[in-house]
Amino acid sequence: MMILVLSVIVGLSVIAILPVMSEAQLKQKTFVTHSGSVIQTTGEIIDPLYTVSSVEFDPEEFLRNFEYGRISVSESGQTIRDYTIIAEDDKIQEISPGVFFNIWSFNGTVPGPTIRATEGDLVRINFINNGSKEHTMHFHGIHPAEMDGVFESVGSGGGQFVYEFEAGPVGVHPYHCHVMPLEEHIVHGLYGVFIVDPKEERPPADEMVMVLNGFDTDFDTENNFYAANTIPFYYQHHPIQINTDELIRIYVVNMVEFDPINNFHLHGNLYKYYPTGTDLIPSFYTDMITLSQTERGIMEFEYKFPGKYLFHAHKVEFSEKGWVGMFLVNDNHEKNNQEIENGT
Amino acid sequence: MELDGNSSRGKTIASGVIPFVFVIILMLYIFGPGSDLLDLGIPLPEITIEKIDFVDSEIQATVRNTGPISVEVVMADVNDRIQPAAVEPDKSLERFETALVRIPFEWNAGEPYTIGITIDDGTRFEKEIDAAAPALDFSLDLVVFFAIIGTYVGVIPIMIGLLWLPFIKKISRKKYHFFLALTAGLLLFLAIDSIEEAIDVSDENLAGSFNGTLLVVTIVILSFLVLYYAGEKLVKQANSSKITKHVAIALMISIGIGLHNFGEGLAIGASVGLGSIAFSTFLIVGFALHNTTEGIAIAAPMSRGKLMIGKLVAMGLIAGTPAIFGAWLGGFSYSPFSTVIFLSIGAGAIFQVILVLVKWIKEQDTVLSSGAVVSGFATGISIMYLTSILV
Repeated sequence: MMILVLSVIVGLSVIAILPVMSEAQLKQKTFVTHSGSVIQTTGEIIDPLYTVSSVEFDPEEFLRNFEYGRISVSESGQTIRDYTIIAEDDKIQEISPGVFFNIWSFNGTVPGPTIRATEGDLVRINFINNGSKEHTMHFHGIHPAEMDGVFESVGSGGGQFVYEFEAGPVGVHPYHCHVMPLEEHIVHGLYGVFIVDPKEERPPADEMVMVLNGFDTDFDTENNFYAANTIPFYYQHHPIQINTDELIRIYVVNMVEFDPINNFHLHGNLYKYYPTGTDLIPSFYTDMITLSQTERGIMEFEYKFPGKYLFHAHKVEFSEKGWVGMFLVNDNHEKNNQEIENGT
Repeated sequence: MELDGNSSRGKTIASGVIPFVFVIILMLYIFGPGSDLLDLGIPLPEITIEKIDFVDSEIQATVRNTGPISVEVVMADVNDRIQPAAVEPDKSLERFETALVRIPFEWNAGEPYTIGITIDDGTRFEKEIDAAAPALDFSLDLVVFFAIIGTYVGVIPIMIGLLWLPFIKKISRKKYHFFLALTAGLLLFLAIDSIEEAIDVSDENLAGSFNGTLLVVTIVILSFLVLYYAGEKLVKQANSSKITKHVAIALMISIGIGLHNFGEGLAIGASVGLGSIAFSTFLIVGFALHNTTEGIAIAAPMSRGKLMIGKLVAMGLIAGTPAIFGAWLGGFSYSPFSTVIFLSIGAGAIFQVILVLVKWIKEQDTVLSSGAVVSGFATGISIMYLTSILV
């Protein structure tokens, strides 16, 4: 009898105490710092660097997404690619965990969609301006003057314009709004990438787009955040998965304003660099390129050894404000095995 | 009769209350539900970083929401480089609420740092620290250190100043008035000095919503009024009891100077604590010379009574020791708000003492525009300015 009573009491007290203990454990949160030390806090953690966090825009999805348009063929046999691009300027988006900023966007995202065509294709863009200000689309490349998106402002609240030109030259080019004040329209996010593939395709590769950009969230003409593809530190806590011995091709475009230069440094490797992507022979074999405003190019490399490799601006201010990421290189067993088989 | 009295009293109360009722109705109308009368303009969020502490491998920032709307603290940076951090108790701040932002960081002593805090709309606020210094831990050594500084700055100079008493005792009536006026001049300078310091501290550390300058003015006037009332009582009592009027006035001067020195001690302790002062012997010499003049201020009225060494020393201590207590408080638990308050109280106290001194000179059948008084006043304020350059 006594034993029963005792065990009931013990059981009840355990039930009573356990939730208290687990609550106390919940209250104590920990996080790891630069130097690896573990910090305990009863409060909240604000860490855009190492803590996995996601926001509305998904750089993971943007990275390998290419828009080829609605394809048709003209009577003369020319490929026609139709796109619909809608400009807006009233969205408030989380551009870093907890930071909300009024972005101006093409098709709702910053950067806008990556438009991709083959040299000689007819690109036809049905542009609709649903914003409250005038906007245009100005493509870098070769096209008639009236398709330049500078003098033909498209009115707010549903104004329309059709940009029509032959894709060229081969390479990677930016497009952006060209309405004055230009800086304002660009830094709010009205830009994107336009890729023109050569008629004879480049070798197959794991292809990705990186737009190097920044945000001046307090309007003091200095960027508060930098990133590859908008969200600071994103590829640091969401490493880009790639394989050993697989060709990686990055279309990189620098859209950072205010700061005269940006750069791109790759760890544990060097890359072949094709400035503007206009030539099919690389100009450099390097691990560091310097990019001025809208300067861009194609990088190609393969990793020999698996593991984690950083890539970031070697202007360290930019990397410490978000322009830093990581490749997680997985061992490409399949390919290795094949090679071994072929070898024997 | 009684009924009449009651009803007229009711009317008085009612007439006093009615305006308040209207004020409340007005407030309800403006702020009440469904009222969009004042939904004009864009309220700008604001936070103030009130304090930065450098502790073991960590920088801690105390932030207060000093804007009109609630905000969230979303990011911390050191020298404009983003750092992981923790916010305690939590990151959302209502109006006037504070939070502690803990930034793990291996800081280097003596180097300048700028700490930035970004809120949810992307606005970044920052505070600069000239030289990082570890937050002071309460230790016996430090207690002694502050006591010694307080003694050097407050007690010893005043005691030295008191040694002029025999000299002032021997001089003629006219010259005596010169010294009384000189005292008033010294004190006026101290009062202005306190106010300037208080406004400086509030500008640098308090948010605009505290109305720093008006806060200082209000406290100065309140402290003046309280001490004026208490002082009059003391003088009245002096007439009917054994302490003489000289003693009463000297006592008021010591209290006024004591309050001022408390504020000065706070500022010194805080500066050491925040690492913005490296205490050099030169600085101590400057403070000492400056504060010696405060001793003269006490000695002057005392010189006309009997020589009372015990009372004189007591007054010196009343005026001087607050510097020690101030240094302790400022060094170990600095609060810009309390510093502003104490400096302002000190200024108000000194204004009251000046008034007493002027009345005292007048009561001795002297014209305020006499050469002795005017030149004394001018000399006093000039001496203070010249010695203040040394600090």
